[in-house]
Formats: sequence, C-alpha cells, structure tokens
Amino acid sequence: MKHNLNIVLLTALLTPIGVFGQTAPPSAPPARPSPAIDLSGYWSPAVNEDGLERGAGSEIGDYAGFAINEAGRLWALSYDPSRLTLKHHQCDGYVAPYQMRAVGNFRFWEDRDPHTMQLVAIHIWAQTTEGFRTIWMDGRPHPPAWAPHTYQGFSTGTFVGNALVVNTTHLKQGWLRRNGLPESDQANMMEFIVRHGDHLVDTTVVTDPVFLTEPEVRSDDFFRQPSDHGAWLYACDDGEEIIGRAPDAVPNYPFGAQPFAKEYSKKYKIPLLSGIAGAPSIYPEFPATLKTATDAQAEALLRPAPGPSPVSRAVDPEPHDGEIHVWPISAHVYLLLGDGGNIVVETGDEGPFVVDSGTGQLADKVIEAIHKLSDKPIQFIVNTSYLPDRTGGNPKLRAAGQDPSLVGSFFSMQFRGAGQGATIIAQQNVETRMLEQKLPEARWPMDTFLDDRRRKYHNGNAIEIFHEPKAITDGDSIVHFRQADVIVAGDIFNTTQFPFIDIKDGGSVQGEINALNDILNRTVFLHEGQGGTMIVPGHGYLSDEHEVVEYRDMMVIVRDRVRAMIKSGATLDQVKAARVTADYDTRYGANSGPWTTDMFVEAVYTSLKQAPK
Amino acid sequence: MTVPPKGDAESVPLNPEGRKAAMAWDPGKDQSSGEQCRGYGVGGIVRRPGRMHITWQDDNTLKAEFDAGTQTRTFYFGAPQGQGADWQGISVANWDVPGTIMTRGSFGLGNIGGPERGGALKVVTTKMKAGYLRRNGIPYSENAVITEYFDRFDIPNGDSLLLVTTEVNDPIYLSAPFWTSTHFKKQSDSTGWNPSPCSAQ
Repeated sequence: MKHNLNIVLLTALLTPIGVFGQTAPPSAPPARPSPAIDLSGYWSPAVNEDGLERGAGSEIGDYAGFAINEAGRLWALSYDPSRLTLKHHQCDGYVAPYQMRAVGNFRFWEDRDPHTMQLVAIHIWAQTTEGFRTIWMDGRPHPPAWAPHTYQGFSTGTFVGNALVVNTTHLKQGWLRRNGLPESDQANMMEFIVRHGDHLVDTTVVTDPVFLTEPEVRSDDFFRQPSDHGAWLYACDDGEEIIGRAPDAVPNYPFGAQPFAKEYSKKYKIPLLSGIAGAPSIYPEFPATLKTATDAQAEALLRPAPGPSPVSRAVDPEPHDGEIHVWPISAHVYLLLGDGGNIVVETGDEGPFVVDSGTGQLADKVIEAIHKLSDKPIQFIVNTSYLPDRTGGNPKLRAAGQDPSLVGSFFSMQFRGAGQGATIIAQQNVETRMLEQKLPEARWPMDTFLDDRRRKYHNGNAIEIFHEPKAITDGDSIVHFRQADVIVAGDIFNTTQFPFIDIKDGGSVQGEINALNDILNRTVFLHEGQGGTMIVPGHGYLSDEHEVVEYRDMMVIVRDRVRAMIKSGATLDQVKAARVTADYDTRYGANSGPWTTDMFVEAVYTSLKQAPK
Repeated sequence: MTVPPKGDAESVPLNPEGRKAAMAWDPGKDQSSGEQCRGYGVGGIVRRPGRMHITWQDDNTLKAEFDAGTQTRTFYFGAPQGQGADWQGISVANWDVPGTIMTRGSFGLGNIGGPERGGALKVVTTKMKAGYLRRNGIPYSENAVITEYFDRFDIPNGDSLLLVTTEVNDPIYLSAPFWTSTHFKKQSDSTGWNPSPCSAQ
C-alpha cells in the first residue's frame, strides 16, 4: 500500500540528496536560493496504485496504513455510509487531504502581481466537488484560530529545493479515506509537491491530534495533460433521498455492530486486526505481528477500551490575552471575542444591535470595541440564554447604551427613564431564571417575549429571534440577521465542548437536537456544503452549517447510544463506564473544569430518563 | 503488505502479454527453480515492506541495501561497472536540478527559472533480469527501463522522509508507463534491520 512507510536508514553521507546538503560530495549540486517550479497546467491522477481508493472508493472497513487512535477507529466503525443520504451531507465537499487523492482532474495556475510579476498565489482547481485551493505565496500569515474553517483550508507555500512546500490549516472535518475514516477540524497538512518532467507527485503529511497518533504520509501521482479536458464543474443541490425519515435520524452503528470491518477481513482472507490496528499497520514488522494476533485482540478494538476517557486535543480557539478581538463576519456584522463568550455586533444607521454580552469581565473593552465600530450608543442587546457567559456584561453594556425608539414615545410617559440605556431583549424564561437565582436587576432583560418568534428591522437587517424550547436551558434563542445571513446560536452550538445541557434549568437532549436542526433548517450553503449562512457559536470559531451538522450528528449518535443502554436497563454508572462518547472525547472531552464528559453523559442520561415514554 | 491473489493486476497497465505472464505465476516453481528473488528486483524492491540503508560507497557511487530479500543496489554517478543481468541491473545516477535550460545557459535574458539549488537524485536502471512489479507475478521484462527520483523532505514532527518516485517503461509487458511513489522515514540507527532471504511464497 503506497501510504505505508518503509524505513530508510540514511547515513550522513547521503544528506546531500535534495536540499539537505551538509558535507557535499563531488557530485552534489551547489546550494543556492530555491527556484520557482512551474506547476501550471492540467494534471490527471496516475492511478497505477491505490486505484480503488482513487477511483470507486476504498472498502468500508479497510483502515490499514493509518495511524488512527481509538477515537479515529471508533468514529470510522460507527460511520454508516447512509449518512450521506442526509440532506446536509449530500453536498459535502472533500477536505484538502483527501481532495488531492480523489478521482478527477486538476488544474494549477499562477496568480502574479501585474506590476512586479511576483508570485502571489498558486491556485488548484479539483474537478470533483469543485475543490478550489489557493496557496498564498506572498508571505501572508495564517488567520487566527477563530477564523472559519473550510474544506480546502488556508494554505501558504514556499519553494524549498525542488519542492513546493505547502502548509494548510483551518480545515473542516472530513475524511482521510472515502469510507468514513475521519479527519478532524484540528488537522493540519504539510505538502511537498515535486515535478519531474510531466510527472507530478504530491506528498501529503497530515497531523491530526484528534484522530491520529502520528502523521499520515501519502503521495499521489499525476501526469500532465496537454490540453483542457473540460468538465470542471460539479453542481450539487441537496434533496429528499429518503422520504418520511425522522428529522433527528443520523445513520450510525452502535459500537461493535458495524459489519464491514469483518466483511473486509473475510473477503481478502486477512486477519481482522490488519484493518484496524492503527500505527502498527504502517511498519514492516506488522505482517509478523499478525501471525501471533488473536481474534480477541481485534474484537476488543471494535469497542471503547475500559478506563478513563481522554480529553480534548483541540486548540482553544478563543483568545485569552485580556483583549477584545474583532472579526468581520459580513457587511456591518462583527464577531467580538475575548470576554469568555462570543458577542455579535450589528451596526448601521441606527445604534448597534448586540447579541450577548460576554462574562462582563472585559465589558469596558467590549464597549470600547463597539464604539470603534459605531459612533452611536448601543441600542439593543439580545441574550440567547440567561447563562453568565451570555449576560455577564449586560449591566455595563446597557448603561453605555441608549434606546432612542423609547425616548419620547408613549412608553416614556409610563416608565421613568425609558430609553435610558440599551434595551435588553430575551425570551421570558431568561428573566424567570434570573429572578429565581436572584441575579442583579441590572442584568435582567426588560423586553421579553413568550412566543416562538420575535422580529425587528434594524440597521437595514431583518432580524429574527427564535425561541428554542428546552435546548441548553428553557430560555434559549437563536438570532438570525437575514440580510447579512448570520445566525447567532448562543450556547446551543459551540466548537469547544460537548453541549452544556443544563437539565435543572430546563435543558434537554431532544430540545438541543431540535434546536440544532432548527438552525440547519435556516441555513443555505454557498457551495458544496460550506459558506453561505454563517453560524456564530457560543464559544469557538466562526462556523457554517457543516460544523453544526457534525455537532448535530454527534449529539444524535450519543443520544442513540445512551437511549439503547437505558432501554436495556443500564444504570448511569454503566453508561458512563461504556464510554458512549469515546469517538468524540479527543475533540470535546474534559475531565476537569465546569463541563466534563461525565457531566455531559449524565445530562444525556437524566434527560432521556425524564423524557415521556 | 500482503501478497495479492494471482491475477490481481489492479491499476497496472499490463498489455495482453503482461496479463498472460501474470496468469502464469507459479510461486512454487519460482522457489524451486532458484527464481525466488523475482519479487525483489529493481522493479519491485522499494515496494517490499522493509528497510533501506543508503551509504556512499565512494565519491561517485551510492549503495542502497535492502533487508527484504537482502538485496543491494549500486548507483553510479560516473561510468557504471558490471554487466548487469542480475536482479538489480545497472543504475546510472545524476542530480536532477530544477530549472530550464535558460537558467544554465547565458542567453542574455536573465535567470528565467530562478537560480539553481537542490534537486532530486535521478537513477535510471537497465540490463536487469526480468522480475515482478508485485509479488503476485505482475511482470516486468529485462528490456524495461526504470527511472527513479529520490527526494527528501523534513516534516514538522522532526522526521525526515524520503520519497522514491518510480517510472517503469516496459515494451514487452506494459502498454503505458507504470508510476508509483513510495515513502520512507529516516531512522537514527539500525533498529529493526532484519536481512531476510527472498521468498516467492
């Protein structure tokens, strides 16, 4: 298998190969600055190896040659290909680490500054899923951790020796192999693209702390085509592939129930362990290992190992430098990060419309940042829940604002000080919970609603506020800026942890799933399942529907596992011991802090036990 | 890492003669007739699971040893020695430096391709005994020309990789060039070096 690594023993005498010259022997070329290699042109995959993988697709159950950890293995073993029939998965694009391996033709071209002829970028267009990559060659930095992730990621390149070396970050979750073998949104990719005449080789090195124990090295061969072969487009619109399916169904296999790994083993007459062993399957000793492997060893890998759960290995996307960072989402809508919870600000002819106010610890700096975006006082604040990371800054932001729509209105005769300060809007249960918990009055919303929808037209945006019953709490809302096409999800969705389902304050598993689906019912992707409607999580990086879909899938899959165990009479301790989140722990898990994996599992269990039969 | 079944030539551009030869594969016969190294010849040796040890034999000669099948290849930068007709044939090496002829010549047009640096080790091998591209008898002939490029890369975790890109042109058994790329990870010592004899099984 071409992705398998053999081992090379190199002595120092060989180091002059390529650019690594140290003690150059007589035949070695002189060391000089690197030239630019022209990669422009039309390239087709040379599928003289891995034809199945680069064509019809690998066998489901064949994960050999990948250094997958337990989470990666279990994620793959839980994957049901029928998931692709779900509306929000039908147009999934390919992530760059797979795109370069996928079937279809490629076009490379350069973008040069017309005045200096300096190379600004190299573009790659992949026929399948219209994968469009840009490799920036102008030395620009990578964006911050809170910037959106895309299928193709953010790439920068340099020429080193005879290779174009490319670094890619900000990838979406996708797959390393088209059989469910996952690649996480925490993966980075380094590539070495070399050209020998009309033969191109792209060596990809994928580092993924969530699903891999060591870098995944693969190489893909391409040959140059003399002319354009056309057919570059890949139009995709989703539709109903299965009529009448429940909206909260996500095809998945319980741990140990996926049949394909065993089918693969039987079909090719190889031990079950060969396809699921992870890193050992990369190295030359592996065939000898298989000779002594037992069935029990392999069977044990089909389920979570007993013992404590690992914790998240994801990068914390939130800044903690005591400053407020502003990231533009679309025209006049901004994301503010740094005060312990994401804040959104919409500006225009009227006063700023703010969604959530953070923890309040940096409220003065939040106000300062908003004033840089608008010279008008804050007019409205919407709280997506009563939780402290949504409402902590209410008192100061409110005091710094003003609501001119109330000053001089009928209300000014009813309420002293009407319009003095920003108006805080929230679903009624936000106020109820604050009253119950005796939170300071300055934090309360003064304009509440009971129905499922509140609307405002402000700063040129139609703004809709939808109540999401019994999701994280019983007072959650999402806010949709329709013209800007931005949805603020609050803590219903985040990219940093398992959902904080607050059972005592009215949250529930089903309500959380329904809320995530409600968000998805309002999104429109721009292209191949990404872009378009942008989603602001309560915590984490700016997202689009793809991240919400993966989060929804996770929530449904964990629910299904816990529900099945409850049905079979399992206790909470048994459910915890079964590690029902094992394939997601390295992405979202925590063993300490305010929201641990155990607390999440307990919330799911409790919620399902409370649910009406 | 496992030997594919007989006749499995997936992705290999065999011509009818090549397919016929592949179907005639008889590992028992190879073993008994002393031809058990057919799968360890120059056309397949870098694809065998195992380790490679590369050293300078002298200023103009590189030696690549393989523990799989206990094979040795010799890359000559100068005039090659030997007559070939063995599993590894005669390999001529040179440094393949990127750039155009303009970068090396002086046409008064400037450094069109940029200054030179680095490059791959290019090795062209001929005059080998016929062998197998894959251990299940997918053939190459003694008339094949095998061109390889060796490129080295450093990756973020500190590992050093060697990429071997191979192009096999065979007028007897292939209808088109056969391309593969194979990677190796550098080891700091000889851990795992385990010379083993060729096996046709």
